[in-house]
Order: sequence, then structure tokens, then C-alpha cells
Amino acid sequence: MKIPNKKKLIPSIISVIIQTIKIYPVTLFLFALVVLFASLYPGKFLTPLNLSTILRQFVSLMLFALGPSIVVVTGSLDLSYVGIWMLGGILVWVLMPTLGMVSILVIPLLGLATGFIVGVIQAKAKIPSFILTLSVLVIYCGLTGIISGGISRSVRGYEFITRRWIPYIPTAFLWTIPIIIAAVFIMKYTKIGIYLYAIGSNEEGARLAGINVDNYKILAFTISGLFTGIGSVIYFQNQGGSVPVVLNLNTMVWPLVAIVLGGTPLTGGSGGPQKTILGALTFTVLFRGLTLSFIDPTMIQLITGLLLIASIVASSRGSKGVMIT
Amino acid sequence: MIVKPFSEWFRKNMSIIGPILITIVIIVIFQLINPLFLRYQGIITLVYAMSYFLIAACGLTFVIMMGSFDFSVLSLVKLAALLCVLYIDKIGLWVIPLALSICVGFGFINGLLFAKLKVPSFMATLGVSVVVEGIALYLSKGFLHIMSNRTFRALSVTFIMRLPSIFYWAIGVWIICTFIAIWTPFGRRIYAIGGNPIGAMLSGFNVENNRIYVFMLSGFFAGLAGILYMAQFGGGSIEMGADMMIPLFASVVAGGTALTGGVGGPQRTLLGVIIITWIQAGLLMLGFGRSIQIVIFGFIAIVMGISTIDRRRIKIIK
Repeated sequence: MKIPNKKKLIPSIISVIIQTIKIYPVTLFLFALVVLFASLYPGKFLTPLNLSTILRQFVSLMLFALGPSIVVVTGSLDLSYVGIWMLGGILVWVLMPTLGMVSILVIPLLGLATGFIVGVIQAKAKIPSFILTLSVLVIYCGLTGIISGGISRSVRGYEFITRRWIPYIPTAFLWTIPIIIAAVFIMKYTKIGIYLYAIGSNEEGARLAGINVDNYKILAFTISGLFTGIGSVIYFQNQGGSVPVVLNLNTMVWPLVAIVLGGTPLTGGSGGPQKTILGALTFTVLFRGLTLSFIDPTMIQLITGLLLIASIVASSRGSKGVMIT
Repeated sequence: MIVKPFSEWFRKNMSIIGPILITIVIIVIFQLINPLFLRYQGIITLVYAMSYFLIAACGLTFVIMMGSFDFSVLSLVKLAALLCVLYIDKIGLWVIPLALSICVGFGFINGLLFAKLKVPSFMATLGVSVVVEGIALYLSKGFLHIMSNRTFRALSVTFIMRLPSIFYWAIGVWIICTFIAIWTPFGRRIYAIGGNPIGAMLSGFNVENNRIYVFMLSGFFAGLAGILYMAQFGGGSIEMGADMMIPLFASVVAGGTALTGGVGGPQRTLLGVIIITWIQAGLLMLGFGRSIQIVIFGFIAIVMGISTIDRRRIKIIK
């Protein structure tokens, strides 16, 4: 690699920064937020404890947003993640006495099966994906309620997943890194990823180019379900080995905010997991900063909603030719 | 042969006969299990359960007929109910126009985001719904509020001919909606947009404005449903639950309005609402909780959603 001489070094750094901002506009927002909060709360924001909290919240957001962002690339929507986490968690509690430690594997299996079934129904029966996955989510929440009897159940024995190795860095975060790398690798460097981007930008064109669109859509949902399942294992233990039994609107909406804020348009065709990382980080920093501030805690949901609307509007610019419903 | 024309007629009108048959089956099953189902008390319960639901579902039907989706209906119901209970002591019955206009305003925002800014309707209304829930949470601080104004409550619980007045409100709204959908130019335009948006645009009317009007209509009916809901129950908290959106949606598709738009209408939604709310009431009478109900409604939503879509007309669905 050629090292640029001193005269060219600064302009080349600037051009790299400009390029980054062009591709990932949210970095500017993230930087502004960090500067703002660091100057507003000098003693509170940039402390190791706060940064570690940010990492923890980032992990929980990222684990849910990773799988769906693969589906969003194809232009569909996958909302079933919270359902997989809840039903999977309660199934672990049911299976623990008979199967022992292996029972944690039920969560990835459930995710895989859910993704596959959702994909088959969506691709073959042609029902809009958001309604389908929303119904699946609601069905899973209902099943969780039935199985658990309406009480949150906790499971012991998986503490090793989140035992602390390095001070201040949550172990869940270390687990998340290979998962993120795997997702980005699939979307960036394999045939599957390229085909999914093609389907997202023009499904009819992809079909005419000889891609088996139905099979790749099913694959996208299956991968999404698997990633959600694997992520749910970590998140499950991160939350102390239990799951809530009532659906909360916020848990469902926040990963969507992360995806859209990162810059993946809902019409599909661009973006992907690598952008979702930035979206999740920005949202976490904003959320943490708002929590530290004097704003009424009940206002935070309102701000989240406004942020969601603003980022969807921003990300759907330039999609004028696409027919939307 | 007399069988052949009959089977053809049956196949043609399947989408209207199906819901009627399901309704009859539901009534028979619950009547056999619980003989109190069709007594006067039971019928009152059913009427109470379906009325506010029917009003909100009529508004949602217009949106689904157009091929879009409105996630914010239930949040607006919640917000309207909350505004009534919070401000009835300060401004009296003026809360009704206040709540209605705020809900129409949010419907306008939905329409604006969808029609002008080209955001997919599901995500636009989901975002608005989060904002509305945030406002409701901010106003109520999460407490349960009780409505004590008798004049206001009389809106829903006055008995006329042994039936509560909310029932007449709901039937009135249903008749007006059917009239709008079938006999007015506006209603025909909604069908046209749902059937083929590009064709509708080429035929010369303003598709964007009509889309905004439909979302405002949906907001209006959501507000009305919220006001009457509050008058009926006399209290309520913010925690009505995000999962209750599925029964509302299921009742629209169970009536036979296709998700792709252009087919169905408010006249069918009455049957869908009867199916859904009567299953709900029947399950409650049998002592089943909310968890089982939402599982059943989720399945109904998927199955009816699949069976009503006309797959010949569409190639791509996201």
C-alpha cells in the first residue's frame, strides 16, 4: 500500500470522512449527539459505567435488529423477533427438567423453523409480510401467556454465557461481534447477499434475470429467524434467564427504529446489517442521553416515535418511482 | 342438472356466504356449550362487545379497501378516550369535538406521510401510533382514570327499546359507511385506488388527496369509537395493549375485505366484527383468558388474509 505524502494526507482524510458521511449520514448525527451529551453532562456521560451501559443496551437492540435488517433488504418486513424470544424463553423453562442444558438450543431451532414457515407462507401464498409476521408475533405472545400461566418464569444454569471476562465490557457484547460479522459477511461477500439486494431493488427484474425469487425470499426469512434465535439466547441470559409474558410496544418498535435510522430504506435494495450497527448505536446514545437529562421519562416514547417518523421519511426519499401501499 | 348452477352460485358468492356460515356455526356452538348465550343478558354482552369495535373497524375498512394499512386506529381510540376523561371537568362536553378533531388531525398526518412523502402506510402509521401512545402516556402518567360525568356516559348507556344506545350509534355509522362506499363518488374512488392506483391516477382524479381523506376518515371513526368506548366503560387505562390491533384487523379481513384492496367494504365488515367479537365474548363466557383469544385471532388473521387475496391480479407483494 502506498502511503500518501504529507501534503496529500489531510485532503485524503477529509475525502474519506466525506465519503463516510455520504454513505452513512447517521455518523454525523451520532457524532453530534456524543458531543452534545458529553458537553451537557461532563461528569456523567463519558464515564466507564455509562459507556458500559450504552454497550449493554446496544447489544440488546442489535441482537433483535440484525435478522430483520436482512429481510428489510429484500423489501419485506419481519416483526416476529420478539415472539421468537418470548416463546423460545418459555420453552427453555418447559424443557429444562427433561432435556437439561441442551434445552437452550430450542430457541435457535424455533427461530429457524419460524423463519422458514413465515418465508414459505409469504412467498407462496403472497400475503403482505408485515401482517403475517405481526400475526405470528401475536400468536407467539399468546402461546407464551398460555404456557407460562401469565407469570414470568426464570431459568438458572446458563450464567456462563454472560460471565464477565474483561472489566467494563459486557460479555454479551463480545458474543455479539461474531454474529454481526457473520451477518455482514453473508450480505456483503456471498451470492445470497447479492441476490437479496437484487430482489429488494427490483423483484421482477431479479426474476427475469433467472433468480429463483421465492426460494431466496424463504432463505432471507430463514436466515433472519436463525439470527434472531441465536441472538435471543444471549439476550435471554442477559436479562437474567427469563422473558416477559406481555407484549410491549416499545420492544417491538425499537429494533425497527435502529434499522431505519441506520439508513436501510423500507422499500429495500440497499442498506443492510452494517448500517443497522450505526443505527442501533445512535439510538442507544440518544436514549441514554435522554435518560440522563431532565426530560420527563414519559416523554421518551414520544421522542422515539418522532425519531422513527423522521428517519423513515429521510430514508424513503428518492423512492418516488416505487409503488407503495 | 340443478346442482351445477347452485355450486357455481356458491363459488361466486363464497366471500359473503362463508362469513354467514361461520357466524351461524359460532352461535350454535356457543349456544350448545352455554345456554345463556342467546338470553337477553348474553345478547346485551355481545352488543356491548361489538359496538365500539364496529365503529373503529369501519374506519379501518376504508383504509384496507384502498390497499393500505392503518396501525394507529387502536392508539387513536385510546387517545380519544383518555382526552375525554381528562378534560371533561374543565371544558364539559366540548371534549367531544376536541377529541374528534385531534384524531382527524392525526389521520391527516398519516395521510400526509403516506400520500405526499411516500412512506409505506404500515410504517408511517406505526410511527404515528408510537407518538400517539407517547402522548397518551404523557397525559395519563400511566394511571387509571374514572369517568364520572353522567351526561357524557348517557351517550352510550341509555337504553332504547331494551338495547343500549351505543348499538344504535354503531349501526348508524355502519349504514353511513356503507352508503359512502357504495353510492358516493368518493367511495367509488376508494375502490378504484385499491383496484389499480395507476389506473385511478390516469382516470383523472387526485389520488393523493383522496388517500389523505381516507386516512382522515379512519381517524375520525377511531376518535368516535374512543369517545363511545369511554362512555360505555366509564374508565380505562393506557394499557389496552398493542396486541389488540390483531382482532380489529382480523375482523376486517374475516368479513371478506382483501388486503390487496379494491374488494369488500364496510357492509362486509359487520359480519367480520360479529364473528370476532362473538368468538371473544363466547370464549370469555367459557372462562378462557386473553392469551388463548389472541392466538385464535392471530390464526384467523393469517388464514382469512390468505384466503381473501386475489392472486391473479398481483405479481409482487412485499
